[in-house]
Amino acid sequence: MNVAYFPGCSLHGLSRAYNSSTHLVCDKLNINLQEIEDWNCCGATAAHSLNHKLSVSLGARNLNIAKNMNLDMITVPCAGCFGRLKTASYELRNNPELAKEVAEIINAPAPVEPEVTNLVQFFTEQVGLEKIASKVVKPLTGLKVAAYYGCLLTRPSKVVAFDSPEQPTSMDDILQVIGIETVNWSHKAECCGGGYAASETDIVVDLSGQVVESAKNAGADAIVVACPMCHTNLDTRLGAIEKSRGVKYDMPIIFFTQLMGLAYGYSYRQLGFRQLLNSASPLLKKQGII
Amino acid sequence: MPSSTTPMTADFFKAIKLDEIDNSFQQELLDNCGIDLNTCLECGKCSGGCSNTHIFDITARQVVKLIKMGEVDSLLKMDSLWTCVSCQLCVDRCPASIDIPRIMDYLREVAYKNQIPATREQVLVFHELMLGHIEKGGRVEEGFLAMEFNLKTGDYFKDVFDPGMKMFFKGKVNPFTPKMKKRDETRRIFKMTSLRKG
Repeated sequence: MNVAYFPGCSLHGLSRAYNSSTHLVCDKLNINLQEIEDWNCCGATAAHSLNHKLSVSLGARNLNIAKNMNLDMITVPCAGCFGRLKTASYELRNNPELAKEVAEIINAPAPVEPEVTNLVQFFTEQVGLEKIASKVVKPLTGLKVAAYYGCLLTRPSKVVAFDSPEQPTSMDDILQVIGIETVNWSHKAECCGGGYAASETDIVVDLSGQVVESAKNAGADAIVVACPMCHTNLDTRLGAIEKSRGVKYDMPIIFFTQLMGLAYGYSYRQLGFRQLLNSASPLLKKQGII
Repeated sequence: MPSSTTPMTADFFKAIKLDEIDNSFQQELLDNCGIDLNTCLECGKCSGGCSNTHIFDITARQVVKLIKMGEVDSLLKMDSLWTCVSCQLCVDRCPASIDIPRIMDYLREVAYKNQIPATREQVLVFHELMLGHIEKGGRVEEGFLAMEFNLKTGDYFKDVFDPGMKMFFKGKVNPFTPKMKKRDETRRIFKMTSLRKG
């Protein structure tokens, strides 16, 4: 199966573990990820916060390249990039006036194709749980985790049109078919603080703190994410969260593709587990997984 | 009978005179963003769902109301513009699907264009540095961006030891991210969408 792949800046930077584990898992599933040639940054919070046209145009350029690669679907592992590309695609489809302007800005026809999906969506809708389960060589039984979706995998639902906006289940389904138990919890799709990691760190410590607290109260031993921003905020600010709340959470933050990779027989090292600030090794050893 | 010195209700609550309300901004939102605030049910679910309503100086519901009342100046100066996390909970919970995150973006864009100072200067600094990266190189290099941010804000050691050094030693920081090639294409996009001319 061929699909266009938009890694985004974080997957080449702080979240390389998400990139490498995604590639390994896709190899096993016979998915050929074709990176969008010479892609540009989606513009993230900075662009849409200050300049709508810029934000849509940055997305349009990427969509146009993917279209010229003759691929009808893009998959995006980063929820932030996914949100921007999906919104750009939605705007171009529904706002012909803007689409005309954007075409001039990017010096190419405004692309209404291809279809933009996030990685969790691509796995559940295009690959299917049965196939995902069929590649498991080592079920990860004994692990009890909270699947954390954050804001942008499922919202705004009018644009994204995937899963339930506030109580999604698709990542839980993937984790369950590889042997993991997932908890029911309240903060599945609450915000981690997003792009305020550096500029308003207090907001991140507050919001991410609520997420970690809620996962712990639901009995989770780890939080599993599908977004590099959620990962960076939770993983790098856990120390500050523990300090501000006076609680030791002992909560590794793991990419869902890293766990799929373990179930598919890849090693701890190959999957980039060593890059996690809060090591998952004690938990995985306790359950006899590594 | 109230004595002549008793303040009248009218002194506390200024009567809203419908024919004196300036609703040009409401119309502007409809024209430019396709958002119709007349569909607002005033139920307050937007503020109820909001991630950061506990620190907002003006809440989502108040934003909608104030636009309808023509009080746009206070909205362009509000702190909420710079603490909204764009989590999309308000629009998703709104029974009338009023796109409040888009309204916030629009207000911020107008404020930025007119150089109205941001209450959280560092948020704007971060956005501008990030856009600078994209304009120059097409992509963002997170490590360099963090360093530039510290230099620009004068908070030189922010996050350097914790979590910065930890991230470095864990091999999380990548100083050699692959660069984009056709940078003239992103520069063109920036040039053609520039808000502050010159």
